[in-house]
Amino acid sequence: MSMAGSNDRPVLEARGRLERFNEDRERILGEVERRVVGRRLAAAATGGDHSLEYVLNDVCFAEIRRLEAAGGKRNKKALDHWRDLAGHLRAMSEAEKRAELARLVGHYGKDIVGNFDPRVYRFASDLLPSALGFLFRPISGLRDGVAALRSLDERVSVEGDLDVARACAERGTLVVTPTHSSNMDSIVIGFALMRAGLPPCTYGAGKNLFTNPFISFFMRNLGAYRVDRRLRFELYKDVLKEYSTVLLEHGYHSLFFPGGTRCRSNIVEKSLKLGLLGTAITAFRNNVRAGNPQRRIYVVPATINYRLVLEAETLIDDYLAETGKSRYIITDDEFSRFGRIVEFIRKTLVHSGSVVIRFGRPIDIFGNEVTDTGDSLDRAGRPVDPQAYIRGADGEVSDDDQRDAEYTRLLGTKLVAAYPRETVLHGTHLVARVLYDRAATIAGTRDIYRLLRAPASQLVMPAAEVAAGVDVLLRRIAADPEYGHVHGEFAASPTATVVDNALAALASYHTRPVATRHGDQIAVGDLKLLYYYQNRTHHIPSGGRS
Amino acid sequence: MSRADTVGIVGAGSFGSALAAVVASTGRRVILWSRDPDVVAAIERDRRSPRLPAALMPPSVSATTEARRVTTEARLIVLAVASTDVRERAREFGRLLDGNHLLVHAVGALASPGAERVTEVMTQETPVLRLGALAGPALPADLAAGQFSSMVVASRFDEVIAEARRLLNAPPVLRIYTSHDVIGVELAAALSGAYTIALGIADAGGIGPGPRAVLVTRGLAEASRLGAAAGGDAKTFSGLAGLGNLLGRSRATDGRAARDYAFGLAIAAGNLPPEADWPEGARAAIAGKRLAERYGVRMPLLRGLAGVLTGQIAVADAARLAADQVATEE
Repeated sequence: MSMAGSNDRPVLEARGRLERFNEDRERILGEVERRVVGRRLAAAATGGDHSLEYVLNDVCFAEIRRLEAAGGKRNKKALDHWRDLAGHLRAMSEAEKRAELARLVGHYGKDIVGNFDPRVYRFASDLLPSALGFLFRPISGLRDGVAALRSLDERVSVEGDLDVARACAERGTLVVTPTHSSNMDSIVIGFALMRAGLPPCTYGAGKNLFTNPFISFFMRNLGAYRVDRRLRFELYKDVLKEYSTVLLEHGYHSLFFPGGTRCRSNIVEKSLKLGLLGTAITAFRNNVRAGNPQRRIYVVPATINYRLVLEAETLIDDYLAETGKSRYIITDDEFSRFGRIVEFIRKTLVHSGSVVIRFGRPIDIFGNEVTDTGDSLDRAGRPVDPQAYIRGADGEVSDDDQRDAEYTRLLGTKLVAAYPRETVLHGTHLVARVLYDRAATIAGTRDIYRLLRAPASQLVMPAAEVAAGVDVLLRRIAADPEYGHVHGEFAASPTATVVDNALAALASYHTRPVATRHGDQIAVGDLKLLYYYQNRTHHIPSGGRS
Repeated sequence: MSRADTVGIVGAGSFGSALAAVVASTGRRVILWSRDPDVVAAIERDRRSPRLPAALMPPSVSATTEARRVTTEARLIVLAVASTDVRERAREFGRLLDGNHLLVHAVGALASPGAERVTEVMTQETPVLRLGALAGPALPADLAAGQFSSMVVASRFDEVIAEARRLLNAPPVLRIYTSHDVIGVELAAALSGAYTIALGIADAGGIGPGPRAVLVTRGLAEASRLGAAAGGDAKTFSGLAGLGNLLGRSRATDGRAARDYAFGLAIAAGNLPPEADWPEGARAAIAGKRLAERYGVRMPLLRGLAGVLTGQIAVADAARLAADQVATEE
């Protein structure tokens, strides 16, 4: 792993924090239940849509709909239960409804809550790569898996303002907010945090990722909690957000993917889902009210930059189906096929620096910059006390969900601005951009659907021109910090070599080669994937000669 | 009276003075800041502002040159300064403000010289996040005369809207309407000044009521297009900040005219003042044209007005050039 100034002191401190989790677990769950039930009962007293009957009916309706859609014998018992409950709601007394509410909140809380076993964490710190290799044994043999992963250190590079992030981790609680391209992200960033001297984070992971018992075991013990995206009713979201809030209040460093799901287009995220991110402000507000204003919370933007993306084919198909109004049918997902994961690891992660994780400078939860030691600064660089943002005219901490949602929106705009700046562009991205620009210029359009109908003759470019185009892009990126960074390979090798390596990568893993070299010409093989990889440079406007 | 019930007003020009007088007439306390010690002394001595002698200042208005008094004694602060002073004042007060303050501006123009929206400048120069914009056809003379007036306060924060209404609402003289469309209100207020100039030019040329109505409605239409492209709500332009401002300022009464309108009349008479003497509406016309080019929005009227202001188009040719080349679906 390429990294400067590693310092594991904060890791040890924060490791201790997460090690407490199993002791805290019941207390945290109890706190979540107490708050959610208390809030719901208080709201129910106002009647109408907040009544317990309405809340419970909402849960029943959503669960019945979900289970009916899922079908199967295994779900029948649960389906009968929810139908029975729905049928009895009108006849239930208020006391019975209160008891059912408490039971449901407890049930969903336990479903969400994670685990952290320090022994497993230490084991994982040292052996995660090999252990993951073991996962692939049934498919490809242990030797292949372990060989591919043994030197994960070299393949995962970590860059950025690590010292400031470490200082903030010591002073307060981190909320790490990476971009999201792949289901590999959870594992990759967990590993990167470990080796970067940053503390382990608890994080919400889709319940579908827990279906494999081996992965599930590691994810839970590395601090993951389960988010069931099928449960879309308010009570579940309420429990989930409260759980995140309580974790942050207790100082558990957390990781959210603000993009929500994996980015389909590979365009650096511009639209964020802010629900869980908003819990950071709630947690800070609760801490200040409890007399602990020194418990700061810091948001660390991060980007995860792959040379190749495991699920690229499925993701871009999904994206084009979405934007192209069902012109494409979504197929399956590479992450669900272990053979593809193994192939991905063997063919792409064998390259040094094939994944670069870049951490941006932390900001406070109101989007303010911070000093090297974590003090907040306003936009003009003057010290500002973050507590002031949540206090009312009387100086008391005030509850105002609309205000806090607006603060979270502002924070989101800061993250959206930071992501392109912190993006690290690989040779694969720049080569794809140059080839796509060429095709677009010839066709007179950048519209992917029109380009998909372009004749093959328009999708060929002399290799020398590709290298020259990459050089132009490199100069443009160097001149504007908002365009991001380029991979270290560009400093280490001549552009022509980087182009050759990128072409080798683009031809190595996907079902069809993205682009291949034929003599002194480079031909596009899969325009959709070319579009996907060039999209990583989408924030760099067309212009200049590339 | 507590800090929560006190309004700070930065700028004792005609609007700041009028607002102070109206708000204080409801019994609320007002700290009115001016950089000019003579203005402060006159208000304290005569209870009248030299900038608006018609307005009588109730005893609950305290005038001061001390910025710190405003920021310590009031939580809601209204920035009521000229667009050319926005950045300097924001910077000066930014040193004293904190995240607890609520900051609303009543500038009604884009900030000079950069043509940013004023809330953008306030974001850059102060630590305040809870920001808002106050706009509408509440003319200082009307306020001073106790005439029925209304404005709209726009903020993304419900708290700012609620506090501005609570503290500034002074019926029947001043009613405060609300909006969440900060971008729309700021652009509508700024651009209405530009169209007020256009109406001044047109009126001086003896335009008929029909063509005048076309000028108003097409002006609003193109301004709405720009507002929507910039992230605002098109319908905001038909509200107090847009149409309200335009109608309120585009006529002369008893020989008195709003500055933008008088500027239009002067241009029509062949007297284009030097740029240093331009009113807010003229600067908004130039900035609006640039903004339209950036967003690729067609704005024939504004482009024509900017051409007149920069000497590229003669007034006589402006109407012809500024008209839509093609009439399409409205």
